[in-house]
Amino acid sequence: MRSFLAALVLIAVATPAAAQWLDRKWPGIPRTADGKPNLTAPAPRGPDGKPDLSGVWDGENVVARPNPSDLQPWVVDLAHKYQQEYFRTRPYYQCRPSGPEAERYAGWKRVLQTPTTIAIISDDLTSRVIHTDGRTLEKDPPPSYMGYSVGRWEGDTLIVDSEGFNDKTWVSRYGVSHTEALHVTERFRRADFGHMQIDVTFTDPGAFVKPWGFKVNMLLKADTEMLEAICEYSSDNWTVTKDTPVSVPADVLARYVGVYSGIYGGNKRTIDVTLSGGQLMVKIVGAADIEGGLGTAGLDPDAAQPLVPRSQTLFEAFGLGFEFIVNDKGVVTDLVEIHISGPYKFPRQR
Amino acid sequence: MRLFLAALVLIAGTMPASAQWLDRRWPDIPRNADGKPSFAAPTPRGSGGKPDLSGVWNGPVPELLLDPANAQPWMNEVVGQRVQEYWKKRPSYQCLPSGPEADRFAGWKRILQTPTAIAILNDDLTYRVIFMDGRELEANPPPSWMGYSVGRWDGDTLIVDSFGYNDKTWLSRYGQGHTEALRVREQWRRPDLGHLHVEVTFTDPAAYVKPWSFTADMTLAADTEMLEAVCEQTSDRWDGTAADAANSGVTVPPDVLARYVGVYNGMYLTNKRTIEVLLSGGKLIAKITGAAGVDGGEMRPLIPRSQTMFEGLGIGYRFIVNDKGDATALEEIHISGDSRFARQK
Repeated sequence: MRSFLAALVLIAVATPAAAQWLDRKWPGIPRTADGKPNLTAPAPRGPDGKPDLSGVWDGENVVARPNPSDLQPWVVDLAHKYQQEYFRTRPYYQCRPSGPEAERYAGWKRVLQTPTTIAIISDDLTSRVIHTDGRTLEKDPPPSYMGYSVGRWEGDTLIVDSEGFNDKTWVSRYGVSHTEALHVTERFRRADFGHMQIDVTFTDPGAFVKPWGFKVNMLLKADTEMLEAICEYSSDNWTVTKDTPVSVPADVLARYVGVYSGIYGGNKRTIDVTLSGGQLMVKIVGAADIEGGLGTAGLDPDAAQPLVPRSQTLFEAFGLGFEFIVNDKGVVTDLVEIHISGPYKFPRQR
Repeated sequence: MRLFLAALVLIAGTMPASAQWLDRRWPDIPRNADGKPSFAAPTPRGSGGKPDLSGVWNGPVPELLLDPANAQPWMNEVVGQRVQEYWKKRPSYQCLPSGPEADRFAGWKRILQTPTAIAILNDDLTYRVIFMDGRELEANPPPSWMGYSVGRWDGDTLIVDSFGYNDKTWLSRYGQGHTEALRVREQWRRPDLGHLHVEVTFTDPAAYVKPWSFTADMTLAADTEMLEAVCEQTSDRWDGTAADAANSGVTVPPDVLARYVGVYNGMYLTNKRTIEVLLSGGKLIAKITGAAGVDGGEMRPLIPRSQTMFEGLGIGYRFIVNDKGDATALEEIHISGDSRFARQK
């Protein structure tokens, strides 16, 4: 089980910290009568009159799940291969920059805006730069992790075009690859003091049949501070155990079939256990928003995964442990999902 | 010899690229009659009237003169161990952030200055932030790679105090470490358009008896653009130690060693370099001057690999001998190629 626990260490680190150590009142920001930051006050503006996007932001979890039919077949094949490897070559798990990866819009960032340059710096100690000095995109920029970005204002919307990405990054943690011809268009809108929305579109005919994208909502994290979250252990250290398969009698497997549900990460989660061709299968409903790529079956959220037996009651799937709790009458009462952060118990519903 | 070549791949990777792909004219900067940026033009100033440090900057590796007598004994032991390992654990060789390491004041960076914060972005994609909103240093910040920095203006000098470092980083590429109690003070001055000077002082009594300082100088990298230099291969794959090399069993007769003693001069990249070869206790030592910008130390014991080829802490040294057996030149063997230094005396 070492392998899937190792995978989860990284995910735990990557999760935005629920509590930041700092409780620091920012000077000079609009506040409501009770002294709290007024997140619906007007958006601040720079000396040039344009909205100033500067601040510390926390991006909501991103769901960027392209329809497989919108991807070129080689991209789908590669995504399936990555899934089989527990996505261990995901750049983020390798302690490499995430580049344009959709899910990395989530979490903590600081934006610094000057009239000619905008920097977006992330808690994993990577940064990107958007040139707003009027230049146009380079014709043939050298491929890089973070790409070459040029921004212009259209009213109060900042439109950013980026090219020049290397092909070492993914555009989604579900293992969706891209080519060096990837073009990213982003539309940044700071609607008010506390809210920013980014619309992102990926265009890459060599990899995607048609452009696709997603939206991210970002919330100003006023009165606190962004902390570092550095990747120190690359997934090279993950070991996938190839133990001799444990076999579990068919009548025991049949007893585990059922629907289990409970709360994980503040969200309701249902785990559907079925039997198919003599193999136990598991499907997690409501997981896509939470897990770091292990969560569900990659691109297809409805796919079930085989539960590989590790003992008579302990199974593995999605890089997680699943332990069936059996009472003294031999009846299965609960299913425990084992994460590095601890076990989560889901009572049986039927 | 694989090891020292491997070491040099990384060093080459962290060196400022001598040619940038981009030849892009920056708009709106003062220029001389010949169209070149006027580095002597007045310092740009921000809305508060204070100097604006924003721009793309590049600079050489600062010279670090650290007296071993100023290090606490445990720190000298740590440094000795790191030399033995060819500095394999240096954070930047491990693809980890360099934190306050002096040598990282060199190379490419981009500075963005806003009224409330300054960001310094490095070409390895790491960055640090200096808070300018008037806050005080935290009393007990959580230890981090880049530390917690607060800046204030004293006239036209930006004074930055930093605290809250973890103890995983080094203060120099030569292996000097620090404790979590490290405090860094920087004084930044931009006297004109094209130049930036930083005076840096490290204070960490548990590791160093007295504070120690160095100066970093940067030049505006105008009309070009900073490129990424991302560490992709960690030094975990490096193999071997200085002790392994010493035990390789090649011996060179003392009279041959004596013929190599001398002073060799030449250019390495664009810097003048002098290599003085000394004999001490029956062993050859290379003393390198003008090298701080390039490799990891001034005094390198030369361990024989053959009668003319020696290894000096990750770099190859080959003596070129005439038909009388006298050395006429010394070649330094780097992954980027060989550099020849002619014998002066």
